Amino acid sequence: MTTEIDDGEDEQFAARARMGDRPAFERLVRRHQDRAFRFILRMIGSRDEAMDLTQETFLKAYRALPDWRSEARFSTWLFQIARNTALDALRRRRHTEFVSLTAGPDEEAIDPCDTAPLPEERLADKQRIGLLERTLRALPVEQREILLLRELEDMSYADIAATLNINEGTVKSRLARARVAVLAHYRQHGEEK
Amino acid sequence: MTAHEPDMIALSAYLDGELGVTERRQIDAHLATCAICTAHLAALQTLASDFDRLPQEKLGFDLVGVIEGRLAAAPRPPQTKPAPRWWGLLPTSLGAAAALTLGIGMGSILIGGSAAMPRMAAMSVFDTLPPGGLCLGPESCYSKGARK
Repeated sequence: MTTEIDDGEDEQFAARARMGDRPAFERLVRRHQDRAFRFILRMIGSRDEAMDLTQETFLKAYRALPDWRSEARFSTWLFQIARNTALDALRRRRHTEFVSLTAGPDEEAIDPCDTAPLPEERLADKQRIGLLERTLRALPVEQREILLLRELEDMSYADIAATLNINEGTVKSRLARARVAVLAHYRQHGEEK
Repeated sequence: MTAHEPDMIALSAYLDGELGVTERRQIDAHLATCAICTAHLAALQTLASDFDRLPQEKLGFDLVGVIEGRLAAAPRPPQTKPAPRWWGLLPTSLGAAAALTLGIGMGSILIGGSAAMPRMAAMSVFDTLPPGGLCLGPESCYSKGARK
């Protein structure tokens, strides 16, 4: 699902950037900007805010580069910063979001009367993807983030554990619970359509 | 893992390829005979393919162009230097100790020994009685009987 990025090169660029080589850091930004943005967007749900937070993430990373240790994977370290930035933004909101399990205003609404040009399978696909997006937003943050890291970023349990600062056993059980929660939402809301 | 209570933690890790060889074989064997667990695994696989179909969101512009100025202005912490070793501090500490010893030695020469005695002798010139035989007070010049 994710674009393959050579971690060895990442670490070389990061080591150079840490010594003050700004073009090396710019290479890292270009390599990771879409991944970081995608993760933050799915955590936050607002495109404009996610753009700002992605910028903030890379600026924080630039300032914190002297703290990065070459034995840690750069991408994991960057995702720790992106995650903390997103969590801070969610805390700042200080209100509970009520997520509608029907189609939201930012999504393409599926009009049952306007299905003629769409093949049935495609319609079913769109409905299912729309439902998954809404379900993700309705999940508790700790379940949402672990699903995103595994399913969208294709991270190993070891990398997820490092990013979330938990042990691999917790990754295993939390991820399973998150998947069960999504399937429960599917059963509860998907079959109503 | 019984047929009626699927172990979702194990099935989820099985799906991700995060189980050891032994555990994986056990689940393979169980799935061959348990329709319920096979159905749950299929649901997990469908969920994973749903995630694959989510739109690949992109930032849509070169972030470097946006943050370039802020990177240049961003305060960078100084490069961390390794902590000095104890022998690195040796010349400084030796110098400090030598200066202290020299100071104490010179001080004791100036205020101690033979230099102190003449000063004490000179001080003894000033007696408690004023010079010229002047009275200190009426009590020392007149006896009690003379008063009467």
